Amino acid sequence: MVDNRVCPKCGGELPQDAPAGICPPCLLKAGLGGSDASLPQRRADDENSSRPAFVPPTPEQLAPHFPHLEILELLGSGGMGAVYKARQPNLDRLVAIKVLPPEVGADASFSERFTREARALARLNHQNIVAVHEFGRADDLYYFVMEYVDGTSLRQLVDAGGLQPAEALSIVPQICDALQFAHDEGIVHRDVKPDNILLDGKGRVKVADFGLAKLLDRVPADVRLTATHQVIGTPHYMAPEQMQGSSEVDHRADIYSLGVVFYEMLTGQLPIGRFAPPSKKVEVDVRLDEVVLRSLHCEPDRRYQHISDVGSAVKSLDRPSDVPLPEEMQLGQSTLWFRAILLIMGTTIPLVWFVMWWADPAWPLLGFCLPLIFLGAATEDNGTPVVWTAAILCFLCLIGSIAVAVWQTEEAWALGALLPAFFAWCFGCAIGENEKKTRRRERARQERAARR
Amino acid sequence: MVRMPRDRHRPAGADAARFTTTHWSVVLEAGARSSADSQRALESLCAAYWSPLYAYVRRRVSDVHDAQDLTQAFFAELLQKNYVGSATPERGRFRAFLLTALKHFLSKQWDKAKAKKRGGGRPTIPLDFASADSRCPIEPAGGLTPEELYDRRWAQTLLDQVMARLERQFANDGKQVQFERLKLFIIGQHEGATYAEAAEALGTTAAAAKMAVHRMRRRYRRLLREEVSQTLVDPSDADDEIRDLFAAFSR
Repeated sequence: MVDNRVCPKCGGELPQDAPAGICPPCLLKAGLGGSDASLPQRRADDENSSRPAFVPPTPEQLAPHFPHLEILELLGSGGMGAVYKARQPNLDRLVAIKVLPPEVGADASFSERFTREARALARLNHQNIVAVHEFGRADDLYYFVMEYVDGTSLRQLVDAGGLQPAEALSIVPQICDALQFAHDEGIVHRDVKPDNILLDGKGRVKVADFGLAKLLDRVPADVRLTATHQVIGTPHYMAPEQMQGSSEVDHRADIYSLGVVFYEMLTGQLPIGRFAPPSKKVEVDVRLDEVVLRSLHCEPDRRYQHISDVGSAVKSLDRPSDVPLPEEMQLGQSTLWFRAILLIMGTTIPLVWFVMWWADPAWPLLGFCLPLIFLGAATEDNGTPVVWTAAILCFLCLIGSIAVAVWQTEEAWALGALLPAFFAWCFGCAIGENEKKTRRRERARQERAARR
Repeated sequence: MVRMPRDRHRPAGADAARFTTTHWSVVLEAGARSSADSQRALESLCAAYWSPLYAYVRRRVSDVHDAQDLTQAFFAELLQKNYVGSATPERGRFRAFLLTALKHFLSKQWDKAKAKKRGGGRPTIPLDFASADSRCPIEPAGGLTPEELYDRRWAQTLLDQVMARLERQFANDGKQVQFERLKLFIIGQHEGATYAEAAEALGTTAAAAKMAVHRMRRRYRRLLREEVSQTLVDPSDADDEIRDLFAAFSR
């Protein structure tokens, strides 16, 4: 009996609502009658792969265009052109050549845009971005010479199945680093998808095909197979604002695409229609749901605004909740003791004074002790510049006391002690916040520099 | 060689069961001054081909109810406002015209964030969203743009009608069983079944079966061309239109 899902004639997928149960394209073909020579055979291959807009030349056909390279084999071809493995004999290294479809040259402004885009891509010098060595035009073929990545693509990994959540969690931050770097350079990828994410033998991520979507965006419609093809990019990974052809597409479209890729890595499926959060489909941390869903938000404003935030969010999930906190929190532990001591001192000294000496006025002493109480009771967030605050407080209190001694009234005593203490405390908190922020930024920058 | 339809302005009673009794050219000829005839013609065309349009809207608008509202509103506007009057290059083909009109409509709607009127009082075409949603999986298998999805659904809708007409004709002749057994062979020979098996099931010879299929295929082609011509101004474009629809599947 014939397999219900496949047409027995052309081998293509049979839709569930096929007319009279017969394969539609075969029916159409039969409807034309006569010789079928004018109609191409329907391709029954995997519908997920993008269709080539041209038949790529064989390595032998390509070789004469690149006399300084040894073209080894065709690695693959897609809507954006064909990629070949090649060797640079003079440097004795392997490279990849990407050749764009010849029709792109039909647009007069293409050459200029190509140069501009290629120069921008050449600035993307990052360990997670496929480097561009060279670009140009050989006869009528536009090409890039890029770093050769000896490994697989994320597409192959996902399709093969068996991608563990832990692996996904180690891949995503690297993609984020690459994309953030590009965004900082003002380049939006626009076509983030598993086919464009490569992994080398050492498990390092390399993102490829930056900016090509934008470059090929304005290729005239009649050059393509069908005039209804207006939008470049693989639909499933495209952000909604990109699909609608809105002119306000910015770097946040990449965040959406990354969300789709992330979801696919975790669950093996695409987030289409009403989809279940990842933690409901596979065993992953529930906190990942928030990360993925926020990236996939339809409104760009509601997504993460920087792709590095996605990376940080994923990295923070890496830590189980009961692991000791990083250094700045650990510093807090020693200041806890310090603050406890201050608190004790601040309360016992005036008590002792009153009990022992019953001296009056006790205001200057209170002025000195109250700040200690404040410090002791301060939260760990603003407990960091403790030394700073203590020094300022003591100094201010001293001045206050001197001023009070000059004016010699009760109220003056109080004001001279309390007010400086309070202001100094506020000031100290402000410094603390500032320092915390700078330290965090410094650390992030150091981390990034260290990984280069 | 294309068979011309018998009469460009086919009388409504030519086939009692048919609902697309009109021609795109009737609509276009009426142009800006829409007559009762042209209005009826447009309504029939829309009633026949609303499903690919809905599929396109579903593909571009995530919320089902929004999509339904938009589709309904679009048809209401199309019938009220007579877009046909304005000259556009797609006028030759209803399929392209409809999609372009929809795209303009949608882009207007994006601007007007909230306005989704349901056609304001004037009776609209009954659109069976529920069956459309259950029948066709709106989420495409992969790699399909909304336009591709639209074209494919258009082709399927068209073929549905053609096959339905073919089946009705056979049923009228009392040859229901023959139709069921032989319809698969319209697309030609393949590994699924052989003429010998079908002939045996029908209690006839293989040669007779082949002859029957040959006649069926001829009738099918004629019906297909007629249906396709409904949406064209010039019936000689039928071949091109069929080729374009075929191309929607080979991407």
